[in-house]
Order: sequence, then structure tokens, then C-alpha cells
Amino acid sequence: MALQETIPWIEKYRPRILDEIIDQEAVVNSLKTIVLTKSVPHMLFAGPPGVGKTATAHAFAAQLFGPRYIEDGYFLEINASDERGIDVIREKVKGFARTVPMGGVGFKILLLDEADQLTSDAQHAFRRVMEQFSATCRFILAANYANRIIEPIQSRCAVFRFKPIGLEHIEEAVKRIVSREALKVSSQAVKALFEVTEGDLRRCINMLQTASTYSRDISEALVYQVAGIAWGGEVRRLMVLAIGGRLEEARQQLRTILHVNGASERELIAQMYREIFYLNLPEERRLSLISLLGEVDFRLSQGATPELQLMMFLTHLYSSAQAGK
Amino acid sequence: MSIPWTEKYRPRLVREIVGNRQAIQQFLEWIRGWEKGGPASKAVILAGPPGVGKTSLVLAYAHEYSWDLVEINASDERSGERLRELLGASVSQATLTGTRKRIILVDEVDGIAGKEASGGVAVLTSLIKASRVPMVLVANDPWDARLAPLRQIAPIIKFNRVRRDEIFRHLKMISDRERIGSDEKVLREIADRAEGDLRGAINDLQLLASAMENPALLLPYLGERDREKTSFDVLAGVFGAKTASDGRLLTMNTDMDMDQVITWVYDNLFKQFQKPEALAEAMKIVAEADLHLARMKRFQMWGLTRYVAPLVGAGPGIIKSLRGEKGGGFEFPSKIRFMQQTRDLRGRVAEALSKIASKSRMSRSKAATEMLPYVAEMIRGGDRGVAAHYGLSQEEVQAIETVFKTVATMPKTPHATARGGKSAATPPRGRTRARRRSP
Repeated sequence: MALQETIPWIEKYRPRILDEIIDQEAVVNSLKTIVLTKSVPHMLFAGPPGVGKTATAHAFAAQLFGPRYIEDGYFLEINASDERGIDVIREKVKGFARTVPMGGVGFKILLLDEADQLTSDAQHAFRRVMEQFSATCRFILAANYANRIIEPIQSRCAVFRFKPIGLEHIEEAVKRIVSREALKVSSQAVKALFEVTEGDLRRCINMLQTASTYSRDISEALVYQVAGIAWGGEVRRLMVLAIGGRLEEARQQLRTILHVNGASERELIAQMYREIFYLNLPEERRLSLISLLGEVDFRLSQGATPELQLMMFLTHLYSSAQAGK
Repeated sequence: MSIPWTEKYRPRLVREIVGNRQAIQQFLEWIRGWEKGGPASKAVILAGPPGVGKTSLVLAYAHEYSWDLVEINASDERSGERLRELLGASVSQATLTGTRKRIILVDEVDGIAGKEASGGVAVLTSLIKASRVPMVLVANDPWDARLAPLRQIAPIIKFNRVRRDEIFRHLKMISDRERIGSDEKVLREIADRAEGDLRGAINDLQLLASAMENPALLLPYLGERDREKTSFDVLAGVFGAKTASDGRLLTMNTDMDMDQVITWVYDNLFKQFQKPEALAEAMKIVAEADLHLARMKRFQMWGLTRYVAPLVGAGPGIIKSLRGEKGGGFEFPSKIRFMQQTRDLRGRVAEALSKIASKSRMSRSKAATEMLPYVAEMIRGGDRGVAAHYGLSQEEVQAIETVFKTVATMPKTPHATARGGKSAATPPRGRTRARRRSP
């Protein structure tokens, strides 16, 4: 029996053309002009997660090269954090950009996603790759923070800043999905979605779909429930275990997050940072913990052992919470 | 001195072995599996400090139940080739008489790991896989990274040090039988010094008895046994250290490298402290040791190594005594066990992540945080269609369910209910929890 596939909504409602990109008007208008003139610079798409950077790059390529932009070999996406090193990336670029495409605009587009995951050494090497192939290839780099991209690359790129998606646009996007999927969502629930996701539309849609597997009628309460199972929820549980002194369990949870779930240490630290502000702690201790987390962050970049350093942080979280009692 | 007492009083029957009842029980269960024809594994590793009865157990069992015993000492045999020569026939052929059963004892297995390019571990692993008879490997420290292939096919049976009172009673029995009439104080002293090494204690007793009418006179001159420090010795030293020098010296007398010392100390740290502050302080020092080691590797500044030993070797002990912390046992690092137990799981989740990542146009690590929790929850909610969309196999779906069963279940009391359904200025997630707990 063939199982009916459920298409994840982030794929089902993925924008296909630039006009479907939500709430990034300035970016979209510039890109539409570029499509008309066909004079394409290297570009850096900078902005928070889930606001449409990757989708915009695809939509742009589709409009420039036509809907078969991938199959026809005009467009390649490489994810910087999946590749094992700059050499692998260079080889991929070389393989892709070696040939000049037949007809059309005379160049190809390579999207380097999560480009800020490259170390600055790797970025310098990548800059040379960009120069080497710029006759046949335009590069789009996507990153959460422009300032994590080295200046020589920034100066070679037109920088497009993506912003978090505003409440009314989230409402609009949700409304569209709600009517297509025959759901009911209260306006408080939409506000809750907006607040827990901080304008990250991808998270919003994922949470909406997850909530819909429980009820067609999505309440504010259900949104908060789903927020509890999301990534942030896992990390919060980890921190709450530590605060309660259940360090062995916390360690087990940490190992699961790091080694089984496949999350990166960096994502984990970023999430811990967000959570610190909401934990029940004496304020001066909270400041020391923030500083300590920064120290851990830096130590990991120097090759220290993630589990050990993070547990060190969690024992301090535990003792700080005890001190507040 | 005619026959060594350690030989003379070597147990002939399994029940004569002193201490380690649990390990003996585990061994018997395993070997009885062979007697019944359905063994749980081809081989086991008897692991523990020297002189606690690991080899004696195998000898006693073979003697008591009339098994043929093939015994080799791994550290005597230089190459894997030689091992195969010695054991090849024994593992594959039925016994000559056809009635007696055979057991193979490979002593000092950690000895073969040290020999460079000998291929000893690989040969032993393939011998075990091919073996038709039970094989017992004996090791002091089975956690050597080079022995990893053996650990995967041979479960570890852990032997502990023999308790002081058990050693004492045993010495008493021997001195009664030998009619040396030494007083109990001396026997207790020997038992104390032995640090759980029964064989060492018996040797000391025999030496004292042979030298003097009254062993007590010689006792002060008896040197302490300079045994190689096992991981557990190192742990005992670390958590008992009083000065920075203690830490530095301690780590000089061990084969463990600094990575291992840090792993063992860190893994055992939590059971050693009751007070949160003390734990955090100790953890901070160990984390600094880890940092120095990381910088040493990263920047190839070999000189930085020297800062590691005093920190990790003495830090926890000094904090422990300073804060009046007592007790706490030692265990093999739980990390190793965790990684072994989750090997299949990790592989399947990684495979699933690759599939999800490519459909979602993102990296695997991003898919881990941005997609996997939702996919897991949808699957739990009964939506198998999402798994079909990503092309996840049954095993991968089960792996996801397993992981998220333990880490995430829909909270029974939603945040919003706890907040009383206030709609204005809805706080971000988490804040409610903090607020509720504040007095």
C-alpha cells in the first residue's frame, strides 16, 4: 500500500517567484531590476533565519534562467556547514563553473548558503575562488550576519539585508495557509506564533503544521505547547535539569543533543544564550553566566571539548541558581 | 622459599576465590551459556586491577569443571602472526578427545595494544569471530582506545579491588595453615598496604615470614609495590590530591595520556561533590585543563602541555578537601558507553537528517534544529505521510521516535494556561516558567 505523502508546508508554500517573497520589498525590488538588466553582481544576502534568503536566491535564479534553472545546470547550491573544508567547496565550484552555459545570460549562479559558518581563513580562500571563476559564475552568499563575512568578500558583493518578518505579514502568510488547509487559528494564536518565533516564518509554518496534527482549531495554548517541543524546548529542558541539580540527566540530554540529534555546538550555545534571560536567577549571577557562556563559546573555537565545557557552564548555572535561594 | 604461596594457595574451586562475587556470577552465566550451546558472546574481557583473581577465576573454573585450558600471555607474543599461529588451531578445531571442553585464556591483552604495527588486536578480533570455543581476555585497562575493536565483540566483566577485610581474612587463613603465627596487627598492615591487590599481599606475607621469625620487625622495610597506575588508581589519586605537586607527580606515573585523564576525571566528577559551589569550582579547573590541552594542539605549542597535569591532577582533589567533600565512587566513563549504545541510533538519525536537509534546502545541522523536532512531533501525532515525503525508512522513523521520546513530550500544562490566558504583552517562551517559580 502506497502511503499518502504529506508535503511539509515549508515546501508546499515555498515562494517560487520573487513576488511571492514576503515582507522583503526593498530586496525584491532591487532584484527585479537586476533580472531586467541581466547585469548580476556577486551578492551577499544577510539576515536572521527563516526570512527567505535561500528562497529568494532560488526565485531569483528561476526568474533569470527559467523554471528549469537547476536541471539545466545554471544554478548550484552548496551549504557551507555541510562541507568538510574549503578544498571540497573549491572542487565543487570548479566542477560547476568550469563550463560556460549555452546561450542565455552567459554565466551561472552559485549559492553558498550558511556562508558565515566558514572560518575566516576559509573565507579568504573562497574569495580567491570567487575571483578565479567570476567570468563564468556569479556568487550569492547567504549568512545570518554580514559582519561575520570578511570585508574583502563584502566589498565584492552587493549586500542585501533581509529583516525579520513583521506581524502583519506573518498574519497574512498564516491566513493564506489556514484557508488552504481548512484550519481555524485565533488571532491570539497568530500573535503567539509571531512572538515565539521572533519573525522567523519558517519556524512559524513548521509550528503551525505541527499544531495542526493535534487540532484543526489552533489556539494560543496549543502554539505554546508546540513551542515547548521545538528546539528551544529541548535546550530549555537541558538548562532546567541543570538548575535542579540533576546533572547526570542533564549530561545525558546534552549528549543526545550533541551526538544523536546532530545539532551544532554553535546553535546550542546560541539557544542557551537566548534562554538565559528567562531563567530564574539573581541578576548579578545572570551577568556572570552570560560572560561565562561567551568564554565557553570562544574556547570551543579553540578546539576545547564541547561536552566538558558546556557541562562546566551548567554546573555554574546550577550553583548560581542555588545561590539565589 | 620453596613454592610461592600465590601458587600454593591459588583457588582450585570457583567458590574459593576471594571477593568480586558479582563479576564471578557474570562469568559463570556467560560460560554456562556455552555449556548449553547458546553463548551470549564468543569472548568476554575480565577487566580490573592486578592481583584480584581474574586469571585465577578462569583457572579455577577449568580445574573444577574439567575443561581443557589453552593459556597464552598476549604481551609475550610480539606479533599478530604469532598469535594466529598459537591460537589458530585451538579456536577452530574440536577438542581431541571430543568429550572435554576447551577454554582459551588470553592474559594481559592490554599488552598487545602497545606493540606498534603488530596487528595483534586485529588478529585477536578475527580469531574471536571465528572461534568455536569460549575465549577469555584478561586486561587491567580495557578502555585503551586501541582495544576498541575487542570491546565491540567482547562484553566487559569488571573486577574491583579486593576489600581490605577480605584480604585480611585470607592472609589469616594462610598464616594459620603455615603456622607462622604472625599477629593480627601485622596482617592488617599488609592488607592495608596491598590496596586491593590480594596477590601482592600474599607475596608480602611470604617474604616477611621467610625472612624473620617475627615478620613485624621487617615490615617497615618492605617497599611499596610500584605498580603501574591504572585509570582507577589515577582517579583515586586525583580526588585525593592535596597539593599542586601531587597532581603533577600523579600523572607522570601513568600510561594514560592527558586526554584520557581529563575524560576520566570529568566523567567521574559529579558523584564526588555534594555542594553545587564546590562542583562548579572543580569543574572550572578541569575545563581550564581541557582548554590548555586544546590550545596546545591547535597552535602546536607543545610547551602548554605542562599546565594540564597540575590542573586536572590536583584541582578536583584540592577543592574536595577544601570544601569538606567526602566519598563518591568511580566508574568507567559513561561517555564511552553512551557512544557504544547509541551507535546505530546515531547513524540512522544522521541518515534521516541528510534526507530532510536536502529537501529543506539547508545544512544537516540546521535541519537538526529547525526541522527534526517538528518532523518528530508530526510523526508522533500520527502523520506517517511526512516520513514518506522525506523517504525515511522504517528504522529511521523508529530512531527519530526513540530520540524524541526521551527528550520531548508535549507538556501537559501549556505555558498559556499557566499564564491565565493573558493576551496583551504575551511574554516569549520560558518567561512564564521563571515567573511562576519566583516567590
